[in-house]
Amino acid sequence: MTAQTLAPPRNGLLSRVHNVRQVCRQVFGIPDYEAYLAHAAARHPGLPVLSRRDFFAQAIDRKYGKNGPRCC
Amino acid sequence: MNNLMSIALWPLVAIVGAFSFAALALGRGESVGAVWLVTAAVCTYFIAYRFYGKFIADKVLRLDDTRVTPAERHNDGMDYVPTNKYVLYGHHFAAIAGAGPLVGPVLAAQMGFLPGTLWILVGVVLAGAVQDFIVLFASVRRDGKSLGEMIKMELGPIPGSIAMVGILAIMIIILAVLSLVVVKALADSPWGLFTIAATIPIALIMGVYMRFIRPGRVGEASIIGVVLLMAALLYGQSIANDPVWGPAFTWHGTHLAWAIIIYGAIASSLPVWLMLAPRDYLSTFLKIGTIVALAFGIYYVAPQLAMPATTRFIDGSGPVFSGALFPFLFITIACGAVSGFHALISSGTTPKMVEKESHMRLIGFGGMLTESFVAIMALTAASVLDPGIYFAMNAPSAIIGTTASNAAQVISSWGFTITPDVLTQTAKDIGESSILSRTGGAPTLAVGMAQILGQAVGGKSMEAFWYHFAILFEALFILTAVDAGTRVGRFMIQDMLGHLYKPMGNTEFLPANIVGTGLCVVLWGYFLYQGVIDPLGGINTLWQLFGVGNQMLAGIALLLCTSVLVKMKRERYVWVTLVPTVWLLITTLTAGAQKIFSSDPRIGFVALARKFSTAAAEGKVLAPAKSIEEMQRVAFNNYLDAVVCGFFVLLVLAMCFYTFKICRQAWRQAQPTAQEIPPMAPQGAMA
Repeated sequence: MTAQTLAPPRNGLLSRVHNVRQVCRQVFGIPDYEAYLAHAAARHPGLPVLSRRDFFAQAIDRKYGKNGPRCC
Repeated sequence: MNNLMSIALWPLVAIVGAFSFAALALGRGESVGAVWLVTAAVCTYFIAYRFYGKFIADKVLRLDDTRVTPAERHNDGMDYVPTNKYVLYGHHFAAIAGAGPLVGPVLAAQMGFLPGTLWILVGVVLAGAVQDFIVLFASVRRDGKSLGEMIKMELGPIPGSIAMVGILAIMIIILAVLSLVVVKALADSPWGLFTIAATIPIALIMGVYMRFIRPGRVGEASIIGVVLLMAALLYGQSIANDPVWGPAFTWHGTHLAWAIIIYGAIASSLPVWLMLAPRDYLSTFLKIGTIVALAFGIYYVAPQLAMPATTRFIDGSGPVFSGALFPFLFITIACGAVSGFHALISSGTTPKMVEKESHMRLIGFGGMLTESFVAIMALTAASVLDPGIYFAMNAPSAIIGTTASNAAQVISSWGFTITPDVLTQTAKDIGESSILSRTGGAPTLAVGMAQILGQAVGGKSMEAFWYHFAILFEALFILTAVDAGTRVGRFMIQDMLGHLYKPMGNTEFLPANIVGTGLCVVLWGYFLYQGVIDPLGGINTLWQLFGVGNQMLAGIALLLCTSVLVKMKRERYVWVTLVPTVWLLITTLTAGAQKIFSSDPRIGFVALARKFSTAAAEGKVLAPAKSIEEMQRVAFNNYLDAVVCGFFVLLVLAMCFYTFKICRQAWRQAQPTAQEIPPMAPQGAMA
């Protein structure tokens, strides 16, 4: 995959919907697969990427694994 | 232009704030609008953020955007992700906001709305927001290290180990007290219990959906979850009225306590994708949605504060919790003013996502101000209620009895006139059999919210729905916290046991996992069960134990912040952390000493234990214990509470000693000795 195909659609409304969804994901702490793909394409082009399923499984395991308790 | 705006704007905010405070202060003898209270708080937050927060950012910490943050240094697209500052602020807020800021202020409302309000506002600006901000700063400058690791780095290995044991002890007490809040809210409430029970299969469905049916589609699964949840909430009323299912879902406190203990053990052993993750998403949506709805509701409905500014119970004779305003107000309201637990979040995932150092003012300082706003709204919701209803819900049955007429008589004798009819009618309005002695704060907040939201949407007929919605919202994220907390507790226990016997530290080793989980559940389960059968209702004991522990942790975090400032050679600003540290030490050590040594059995653990063991020795049975055996158990539990409390006190004294030693050494050095990651120029692509 290339970075171009992953870029958010550029026409007004769709792009805005995309942004809102991305913001919501980040605020609620939902793993952002699209952002991961964009990162992989930009930083490590050519290397294999995780599938959506594997990425999600790993992200959840890390989030609730050893690191960090949450608040009262 | 910006300057002109600023010159016009800030005096305006100050004037609006001052006017709101004046409305609160001068409205003696007549009721005051809740809007004034909320507005006064909001203006305080803006002024504090603009001036004090900026002062700390620019002068004390000297945030430097040319430094590389851990998110940029390790950017892996997964854990370390440079994140937009407003998004990270939202994320951080969602992580710190829990049941704490909702329960504490409700309990403290027994002293009137003013003492709680003032402590929340002064406490958050001078202590809570400062702590969250500086701990976040320290962690970002140390590659995202956790609180325990930072204490080890800056203060040494022994204080590091002491802090880790302390953190575990506080976790155990938090899990126990939060579970107790749920037990108190769901006992004898078939509608509430049904909806909470329904969240288990709903979470399982969501988990399977996100894992197998549409992998990673959290949004879709969450919509399914929310729809099912609302259906369960609506259907709950029919269940409660059903002749068969109604009684089946009517459980007593002790049975519920066992259920939650077993639930905690099983839920924390399941794979995280199956239940914890979906439930966490669900509870985060509800949490943020409800908090926003409540804020709009207060402004839209503009209710009057029915609770007086101060009540006679500031002398310590209150039925909700015993102990005078000083020091117990400052223990009861922990989260919302200052919460040690936030130091763990601020040194958890958030520092790994900070894009630029200057963002930390909004995320750390601003995030805590927002949490404080939640506490103010909880206090408002409790103060909007008729004080008679408030005390009927929060006084234990040992004081007000178990019938509406008896309760009305006792409460009216305190000067809060109420009739038995109002008590029974209120119970009917919210769809419960009784509102008497529904302690723990959650039901009170739920009734307050139901009255506010009911006036906004749906009127009287919707109050029962809103009440159970509020209970669902609180219980859901408490149970998520129980699940997640038990896991973290297990890791901590395994980590410690691993030092004694190596295989115990292996988190992939099943027997070690079972021992770790079992120990953790037994520990908090013991305190929970003891709280359920406690003669004074449990909250009276456990919430204060939690408050002491949480504020002690805040004291430890602020001691670390102080040592960081001294080691950075910013001694002239050391008062920024030293003043709140000293205040926390004074209040918690006084409260700790009173909880142990007070001769008043309503306050002192040892005095209450003596009272019960002496009576038991004479063969007398004191209510609500029913046998000599139960009497002895009450006595033993109170001795145990005294030991835990004493442990917290010794812990914080030891930390004081080590911090003082380190600070004195650093003070004499001419050069900064803080162990920060050295600054380097931001780099583009890094593996």
